[in-house]
Amino acid sequence: MATYVLRRAVTSVGLLVLSSMLIFVVLRLIPGDPTVLKLGGSGTDVDPRAFEALRHELGLDRSLAYQYVHWIDGILHWDFGLSYFSQYPVTTLITDRAGATFQLALVSLLLGLLIAVPAATLGAVWRNRVFDSLLSGGTALGMATPSFVTGIVLIVIFGVKLDLLPTQGYVPFGEDPVESVKTVLLPAVTLAVAIAAPIVLILRSSLDDVASAPYIRTAQGKGLLRRRIVLGHLLPNATIPTLTMVGVIVGDLLGGTVIVEYVFARPGLGSLMVDAVYQRDYEVLQALVLLAAAAFIVTSFIVDLLYGVLDPRLRVRGQEA
Amino acid sequence: MTEVAAMELPRSGGRRGETILRLLRRPAGAIAALIVVLIVVGVLAAPVLAPHSPTEFDYERLFAGPSWDHPFGTDELGRDLLSRVLHGGRTSLWIAALATLISMVSGAVWGFVAAFRSGWVGEMMMRAVDVTLGMPVILIGLVLVAAFGSSILSLVLILGFLFAPATARLARSAILSELESDYYLAATSVGAPPWRIIFGELLPNTVPVLLARASIVAAAAIFVEASLSFLGLGVQPPAASWGTLLQIGYASLYSSYWYSIFPGVVIVVTVLALNTLGNSLQYALDPSRR
Repeated sequence: MATYVLRRAVTSVGLLVLSSMLIFVVLRLIPGDPTVLKLGGSGTDVDPRAFEALRHELGLDRSLAYQYVHWIDGILHWDFGLSYFSQYPVTTLITDRAGATFQLALVSLLLGLLIAVPAATLGAVWRNRVFDSLLSGGTALGMATPSFVTGIVLIVIFGVKLDLLPTQGYVPFGEDPVESVKTVLLPAVTLAVAIAAPIVLILRSSLDDVASAPYIRTAQGKGLLRRRIVLGHLLPNATIPTLTMVGVIVGDLLGGTVIVEYVFARPGLGSLMVDAVYQRDYEVLQALVLLAAAAFIVTSFIVDLLYGVLDPRLRVRGQEA
Repeated sequence: MTEVAAMELPRSGGRRGETILRLLRRPAGAIAALIVVLIVVGVLAAPVLAPHSPTEFDYERLFAGPSWDHPFGTDELGRDLLSRVLHGGRTSLWIAALATLISMVSGAVWGFVAAFRSGWVGEMMMRAVDVTLGMPVILIGLVLVAAFGSSILSLVLILGFLFAPATARLARSAILSELESDYYLAATSVGAPPWRIIFGELLPNTVPVLLARASIVAAAAIFVEASLSFLGLGVQPPAASWGTLLQIGYASLYSSYWYSIFPGVVIVVTVLALNTLGNSLQYALDPSRR
């Protein structure tokens, strides 16, 4: 088990370093110079002395390798550099906005599971009924609906027509719990719908696989209550293969927050990223992409460990390889 | 996102006519195919079908709701929205079609080469695919837009690049399963030249699988282009794709919600139809379901 954990940890760190290099290099391959944009020019009308001075100040005149090491060194000291655009420390920008994103992601994930798990389970239990076609129709619709369309529909219904819920902004939970929940409700439902569809799809096929397993038939033959078969045998066993797809779900969550925060004008990391793309603020952009990659890599690491704990067969195979 | 639809690899085989018949026998597939055809024809024939010119201003009627004259309402300059949606569809569909073509060709070549180079080269090629498949498409898309701008050309290239890795994986497993088939063994044992086997046997047998995949890629390309355009980072005004229209409509949601609802519905219907068509094709191609 220890070697399995170690091997996975080393791979994860390696992947993280690799992706940090990739992000850094890709953002520096870009035609055009962020400093020119910052000096308000289009390349030809910028004072060359001011240009050189700014490049020096930002460290852009050093070699790529130096800049990279400098960047990583800063990150290890929890310093992501300064925003090219606003001059604020990137670390501050990120910590200020992390709360809005974290709350949204957490509530959406819970809501999404709350929709998806019962829906997929009912779909697997009530075979070939109206519910089944409703479920696959709903899943297909959910997969085809961009979250900004869902968001706009919800804003029109609950904001414009009924005027029931706020359609933009973010209130920290610690400040005003009631307002906080009210502002997160519409964005979270929007994102939950988007992530529920793939979860239903994955869980459903996994449930179908498990349902035809011999031990389920044995349980039925023993005359076990259907409720006990479903909750005690079917669901737990179907969850294990679904775990491998957690990476996909985390990816959907990360990508989804970008759109949903924009739709509901939530000051989170997703909207910070959109702003950074608009302003060509590479210092902010590279920090955010690195964080997304890190979130992704860390989750798959944890999932791999959980997988090893839940499925002993894998532990053994991990040692042999 | 739409990439999740677990791509079960169907073995190709049977005559083309049979496959199309099997596709049409499933109502969902037949309806999806009909809708795709209607949308493509409608959008291509936009200059004939559109009731108004998409650039004709009417300052008497700004942000009008749906009416007989303007079924989708009018926009901030009084332009007819139905005509704008039909013409905007040309931008959306062209970008999606070219991006699909690029991702299919480059992905297929990548996958084929990886399948034939079974050593460490193939291994490395597939590892590269795995790494890019990990990150959410929209995040990579945003970074690439930041890097290469959002002209129509760079959008086509970016989207083409985004969907190539998944195609490569599919193409590789499609070829690998063909390499195990009896006809491949027969062809190699009678000493047929490799180019004949590749272009005469292997490629034609994997084309149906790749076509089913292309339908799903096109759906994903429309989806992601609309997302980028909605964020204001895709197709830029005065050019307008469905996503661009939706973004402008979103800005005036409280004065005219019709504006953004119709382009939104068109995006959803198109993506849904293309996804369903792709899935039905895969289903129809799968011999185990016969």
